[in-house]
Amino acid sequence: MNSNKKLSKKEAKKLLLLATLAGRIMLRNGAETYRVEDTIERICKSRKEVKYANVFSTPTGIFVSIEFGEEVLSHIMRIKSTKIDLNKIDQVNQFSREFVNSQMSTEEGLKRLREIDKIEDYKPIIKYLAGGISCSFFSLLFQGGYREFLASFFIGFIVTLIVGRLNKYKVTFFISNFIGAIIASVLSISISNIGFSQNINAMIIASIMPLVPGVAITNAMRDTISGDFVSGLSRAIEAIFSALAIAFGVGFVLNIYF
Amino acid sequence: MVIIKTLIFAFLSTVGFSVLFTTPKDSIVKAGIVGSIGWGLYYISSLVLNNSIISTLIASISIGIVGELFAKYYKKPATVFIIPGIIPLVPGAGMYYTMLELVEKNYYAAVDKGTETFFLAAAISIGLIISTTLSTSIKRAKSKN
Repeated sequence: MNSNKKLSKKEAKKLLLLATLAGRIMLRNGAETYRVEDTIERICKSRKEVKYANVFSTPTGIFVSIEFGEEVLSHIMRIKSTKIDLNKIDQVNQFSREFVNSQMSTEEGLKRLREIDKIEDYKPIIKYLAGGISCSFFSLLFQGGYREFLASFFIGFIVTLIVGRLNKYKVTFFISNFIGAIIASVLSISISNIGFSQNINAMIIASIMPLVPGVAITNAMRDTISGDFVSGLSRAIEAIFSALAIAFGVGFVLNIYF
Repeated sequence: MVIIKTLIFAFLSTVGFSVLFTTPKDSIVKAGIVGSIGWGLYYISSLVLNNSIISTLIASISIGIVGELFAKYYKKPATVFIIPGIIPLVPGAGMYYTMLELVEKNYYAAVDKGTETFFLAAAISIGLIISTTLSTSIKRAKSKN
């Protein structure tokens, strides 16, 4: 350990950039606000030349400022797209623990973070199959039989496929949930019209499950408790609006059908 | 027998959701266990108490606590386990039935279902609040010692 190595100003800037990048990866992949703020602060304070570090983060942006020597350096980063990737949150979490406890150079840290950012998601086909599996077993929890099981597998597969495609084109969550709910109910109703299964309820309930805002609810509550009221409120609004989008989508189709 | 079946279905369903949220490979099975514990408690307590709101509260508290424990043992963020586990409890069915009653112009039934859905969502939130507060205060108490 060469802990007496002095941090130059250029390196301090890089440290700031590294901390913000770590925060950005976490926030973009659905981490709670307090975790993002905590990680950034820990990374900045891990080098003893940085006397003071303060972070403010909301789901749409990160503001960091650190005191280095006589100067205050600050960095603002706007976060636009968000998706859910728990693996990356975990990876950055591990990385920050490593970075804080070792004397890793900022250069190497940045390289590691860029690698984490590039980690591949599960293959799309596996995700679609997982969507199908989760829907089909969920239909069994709602008193469906083997016919509903098969139908929900098919519908869940299609719904996750289309919503995944829509998210790639950066469609707003409201529209993608709305379309997903419409597809789920149209497919369920048409399957019951063919005469394959009469239990429309189980099929629709199961196939809207991949759309429900579980992440938003969880994070909204965790943010609010840790005192990040702005983030908590904005995530709660996200949860309410995605629930409304699903309800509107289902109601739209049912209204036409009945 | 029915309970074992339910646990297995809930496990597989949660595993599916955890892949959708890109849970790390080594945590998928653990997330599934959290989900099946939550749904199992929900199922048993709704049989005993015959009240879905209290059952949801119990289930979400237990998911929060088990998630935090797993997070501590396996050194992962707690959300990795809590998010997939909580999804089966989210009242998608309530949302659907509310819409169905609205469309069929049974407004009283719609208000009834809608209120229940709202309270189910509130129960999930309160459960998460209770379990997270418990774990943070335990952590604080331990770090003081």
